[in-house]
Order: sequence, then C-alpha cells, then structure tokens
Amino acid sequence: MNRFFTIALAGNANVGKSVIFNQLTGGNQITGNWPGKTVEKAEGFIEQEGIKIRIVDLPGIYSLSTYSEEEIIAREFIAKEKPDLVIDVIDASNLERNLFFLLQLVELEVPVVVALNQYDIVEEQGIEIDDKKLSAFLGLPVVKTIATRNKGLTELFETVKDALLKEEKLTGHILYGKEVEDRIRKMVREIQHEINSIYPARFIAIKLLEKDPAMVSEISSPEILSLAETLSKELEEIHGESVESVIISERYAVASRIAEGVSIRKKEGRVNISDRLDRIFLHRVWGNVILAFLVLFVFFFVFRFGEFFSEKIGELSKIIEPYFVRLPLPPYLRDIIFKGGIEGAISGIAIVLPYIAPFYFILSILEDSGFLARIAFLTDNLMHKLGVHGKAFIPLFESFGCNVPAIMGTRVMERDRDRFIASVLATLVPCSARTVVILGLVAVFLGPLYALLIYAIDFSIIYLVGVLLNKYMKGTPSGLIMEMPRLRKPVLRIILRQTWIRLKEFFTFAMPIIICANIVMELLILTNSIEPLSGFLNPLARFMGLPPLATVALIFGVFRKELTLIMLATFLGTTNFALMLSPQQIFIFGLVSVIYIPCVATIAALVRELGRFKAFLITIGEVVGAFILGGLVNLILTLF
Amino acid sequence: MENAEIRVALSDVSEGGKVKVVGFSNVGAGFTRRLQEMGVLPGETVNIVRNASYGPVEIRVKGSNLLIGRGIARKVIVEVIDE
Ligand SMILES: Nc1nc2c(ncn2[C@@H]2O[C@H](COP(=O)(O)OP(=O)(O)OP(=O)(O)O)[C@@H](O)[C@H]2O)c(=O)[nH]1
Ligand SMILES: [Mg+2]
Repeated sequence: MNRFFTIALAGNANVGKSVIFNQLTGGNQITGNWPGKTVEKAEGFIEQEGIKIRIVDLPGIYSLSTYSEEEIIAREFIAKEKPDLVIDVIDASNLERNLFFLLQLVELEVPVVVALNQYDIVEEQGIEIDDKKLSAFLGLPVVKTIATRNKGLTELFETVKDALLKEEKLTGHILYGKEVEDRIRKMVREIQHEINSIYPARFIAIKLLEKDPAMVSEISSPEILSLAETLSKELEEIHGESVESVIISERYAVASRIAEGVSIRKKEGRVNISDRLDRIFLHRVWGNVILAFLVLFVFFFVFRFGEFFSEKIGELSKIIEPYFVRLPLPPYLRDIIFKGGIEGAISGIAIVLPYIAPFYFILSILEDSGFLARIAFLTDNLMHKLGVHGKAFIPLFESFGCNVPAIMGTRVMERDRDRFIASVLATLVPCSARTVVILGLVAVFLGPLYALLIYAIDFSIIYLVGVLLNKYMKGTPSGLIMEMPRLRKPVLRIILRQTWIRLKEFFTFAMPIIICANIVMELLILTNSIEPLSGFLNPLARFMGLPPLATVALIFGVFRKELTLIMLATFLGTTNFALMLSPQQIFIFGLVSVIYIPCVATIAALVRELGRFKAFLITIGEVVGAFILGGLVNLILTLF
Repeated sequence: MENAEIRVALSDVSEGGKVKVVGFSNVGAGFTRRLQEMGVLPGETVNIVRNASYGPVEIRVKGSNLLIGRGIARKVIVEVIDE
C-alpha cells in the first residue's frame, strides 16, 4: 500500500500544536507561552511503512466564524482544503473552551482525532480526565499527551495512522438541546433536497440559523433563507437573546456537560502559583519596577557576555593568518579567500554570535514562561497611546529578536490600521542585529551609558511615531480580547531548541550574506572601486560628519544590519573601531545604523504583508529620517 | 447580595468582585461574538481578577483568565453578585 494523506493540527491558541508539530516532524515552528504565535500554516512530512503524511500546523482558532486574519487561514484550510484528518489539540486544563471549538469541527463533519494535551497540568491540579468516557461522548478517538515531554505522541501518531487507513469515517456526533436540535433537523431536511455544497447539510443549517454572514451570502435559495429566518426568530423569542447567543450558549452547555462528565477530582490540587506570582508581576508599582530591573539585567548581561566572547573569538583570525599567508596562492586570490571569505566568516561569528546567543536564550525564557504576556499587560496603556493594543506588544517585543516574524505576527491584530502602525513600529525596534551594533560598537567603545542613550533615542522615536500615526490615521485602535496564559516553569529542552532554531537562521541565512558581502567588498578594494563609490557618498558622509568609508559600510547594512560593523572591520583589518572613528562618529554611526530601515528581509516582509506602496513609504521614510537625524546630531555635537 | 439588581459596566467592578453577565451595549458585532465565544455569555458568572483604573481588565471565566481591553469592558453590562 502506498498512500498520501494530509492532516492538520488545529485547536485553540496556545494549546501546544506547534510543539507537537515540531516533535512529530522535526520542524522549526516558533513556540512559546502566549496565544497567537503561529500566524501562517507550516507543513512537514512523515514517511512510514509506505504511507506518506503531510502534516500542517495551523494558527490557533477559537471558532469557525471569522475574526482575525490568522484564524481565517486556519478556518479556510480546514473547511476548504479538506484535510484527510484533523488532530484537534486540546488544552486539558481548559476543557470547556477547547471543547467549544471541537464541537464546531464535529458540526463540519471533518474526521477528528483528539489530543488531550498538557495533561501534566491537569494532574498538578489534582484532576483526572476519563479519556475513554470522553471518547465515547464524542464518538472520536482521544489520546492523552504531554507534548513538552514527548509523552503520548507515538500513540497519537499510531491512532492517526489507524484512522487514516481504516475506511470508516471518523466523524463525531453531538446533539444539542431539543429546541435547537428540532430546528436544525427542519433545516437539514430542506437543505438536503435543495443544495449541493462542499459543506455538510447540518453545518449549513447551523450557520444559517446563526445568521453567519459568509454562509448567508453563499446560499442562493430564498426559501431556505426565509425558513432559517423564521426559525431563528422563534429561537430568539423562546430565549429572549439574540440567536447568536442562543447557539453559542447551546454549544457551551454541551461542552460543560461533557467536561463535567469526564473530570474526576482526585485530590486537592496545588495552589495556582501563577495567580500568586501575578499579584506581584502585575502589581501597579512592583510589576513595573521588576520589569525595569529585568530590562537592565538583560542589557548588561548580554553586553558583558558578548564583549567577553567577541574578543576571544576575534583573536582566532590572528591565529590562522600566519598559516594562510604561507599558502602558495597569488596574492589577490589570497586576499579574496582569506580577507574576504575567511575573515568575513570569523568576524561575522565574532561580532554577532556572542551577542545574539545569550539574547535569544533569554528571549526564549521570557516566551516560554509566559512572562511576555505579563509585559503586554503592563504596557497596554502605553501601547494604546501608540495606537496599538496590548496584543500588539508581543509582536513588537518579538521584534527585538528579528523584525521579520514580528511584522508577520501583526496578523493577530484585527484591523489594517492597527497592523500598519504595529508594523511601522516593529521596524523601528532594534532587532538582534542592531543590538550587535549598539553593544559591539557603542557600548564597547563609548561605554554602556551611551548605548542606553541610543536605546532611549530609539524608543522616543518609536513613541513619537506611534503617537503621531495614532493621531493622524483614521479610526481608533480596536480593543483587546486575549486569553491570559498561565505562568509556568520553562522547560530547558524547549528553550534550548527555540534558541537553536533562531541561531540556525543566523548560520544558514545571515552568514552566507555576510561572507558574500565581504568578498564583494574585498573585490571592490582590489579593483580600486571603493574610491569612486565613497567619493559619490562624500556629501552624505560630510553631512553626518562620518568618514566616507563608514557611509559605504552603512549602505552594505541594508543587506544585514550587522554588516555595517563587519564592513568597518574589513576596512580596518581590526575590530578596534576607535582607530578610524572618533567617539562622536561612533555615536552617530551607531545611531544611524539603528534607525534606518532594518534590512532587505524586512522590506520583503513589509511588501508581503502590507503591499508595495506602504512598504516603499516606510522604507524611504526611515532611510531619509535616519540620515537627517544623523546630520542633526552631528550639527549639535559639533556646535557644542 | 443586596446589590444583585444593580447593573454596571464590567470595567466598574472592583478587583475580587463576582458578577453575572447581562448583555453588551454597542461593542460591535465582531467583539460581541468573540466575547461570547470566549465564554462571556449572558447569564455566565465571571470573577474580576484584576482591575486597575487603567489598562485591561482581567477576568476569570470558564476556568481560565481573559484580558479584556478597557474600551470593551466598558460596554459589557453585568449584575454584581458579590463585591
Ligand atoms: N506543561 C505543558 N506545557 C506544554 C505542553 N504542550 C505545550 N506546552 C507549552 O504550551 C505553550 C504553547 O505551545 P505551542 O505549541 O506554541 O502552542 P500553539 O498551539 O502552537 O499556539 P499558537 O501557535 O499560538 O496557536 C508553550 O510554552 C509550550 O511549551 C504540555 O503538554 N505540557
Ligand atoms: Mg503554534
């Protein structure tokens, strides 16, 4: 037997879909403890015993009615692309809300296997869930899993494989209360005669009763629409609520009945530590004090760590050089290979890695513990002034790692206006590459206070731009509705993995660019083309008070921000930048590097997410803005 | 219990309070729907976990915590069960 199947991982946000995906496929999905990380579907493949399975990791979704963009992606995939099977990942410690979504999958009659995940949390709470009973209630296979400890996943996969190979269709069966159920039946009878749709009749019936706009516009039969209207009105009269409320309540009623039926309290659970910690972390005063200390700690830790290892690795090229010079090669080739290629690679690693490695590690801890969501809470007020609500803070914070996923992450915002503002602000957040410039150049040669000053200037700019955009763009920021994840002890294995996923990006994506740029630079030097280029840039350099070569380095920075520093190192043949730049120049160079548009990858992400026009506006605005700022600072520093 | 009949906005209930959801005033169809899908349904009992005079309101509903922006919380009408 040789067959090919597609299965999807679906379920509420933050239940563990991506952890399961990574474990099953060896994939590299970002995971972390807050809702809305996965915003684009990702796929992986498993091949076993002659069957090939394509697994698709979907964004979190609470309902099959549309809300934000990433949820639409998940819904469309399940409803339109019809995977052979859906693994509904359920947070076992939050059964009701998770079953609410599962019931909708059942309405849609897709084949489902249920992964009862985060089972460790339920056990900590002293509760046992009867999986057999749950399975019987739903008419679907249920497997207990603890994704972070890789428990139950083999069994889950076996169950999925069995279900795929067996021909019987795995669709659950759920009945709602009599009043609603009778009316669904009436609708179904009519729909079966009249309509030929990709959706099952029962699903259409419920959606029409709910007055789901998308479904109403898809159905052309006036008789059915008017029948739905009559029945909806009856329901509204019986319950005295909108029909939408009636149906949602109905699902929740079934969900809580099932949840109650399968949960057994075994013993007194541990006190909810998360709630206790939150009393401190989210305290009006202490919360902010802790946050401030945390930020300073991260800053100094990354700086000291980076400074130390950067120097150690930097010495490497001096050790290799004598061996290389002895090789029987023509001098120009030696320059290209050694100075361009090898030194480029070494300085890439020496300048960048020591700063981003500890930074990514700490970022992963903040993500996985759920602390990030606390920061979102604390800064919600500030974010509102900038025109984005608390949920946008998380993509903005992710921006410290890299702007690209942050810009994609703004999909969790429901409106275009909010997305635009959040994306602009995200491009101004100093990403890890810019952190390298701030720490490796400004902090090392001028001292940490000047580095903090650069951060302060950058944050003021973000604040200003946010306030202005918020004031002058049409509309008001939309509101926040977000599940607050529980704080939990981060799992070392997951954190290391997360750090590694990000570092791998650096090696596979950034390093080749860095090495190529170095070789190009070496070629430019060998062919004497640097002079005309820097001559051309001379007015700009003079305006900012920088040596022309430094401006050439700034231009290279468009490919990757770290390149500004690495190019400087290439020009100098050393990482002692004080040899070429005065303190004032170091400051201006650092500042301009940080402010102007991050890099081509970010521009590409902007084009993808916002369209060419807006991407163009942002790019030009930030480049011109940064140069003007550099000029102004130069003017001020020279005058005083 | 004597306050059982008083209807207020969710944003006005102080920390530690317990309320019953009554309805929504002009939040917009999308938000009303989302709130209900998250369990904030008419008739549902909700605990107020955190409520400063600014920032989002944190509530506990259906066994998990939910953050609701102040703008929206102002438009969720509730009946106070317990202060
Ligand atoms: N304790 C515990 N934590 C888990 C388990 N499974 C996942 N997690 C954690 O739950 C958080 C969310 O996991 P993800 O896989 O990123 O969740 P997701 O469902 O992909 O979330 P979205 O992409 O936001 O929809 C992470 O911090 C995981 O480490 C589990 O079985 N037990
Ligand atoms: Mg995910």
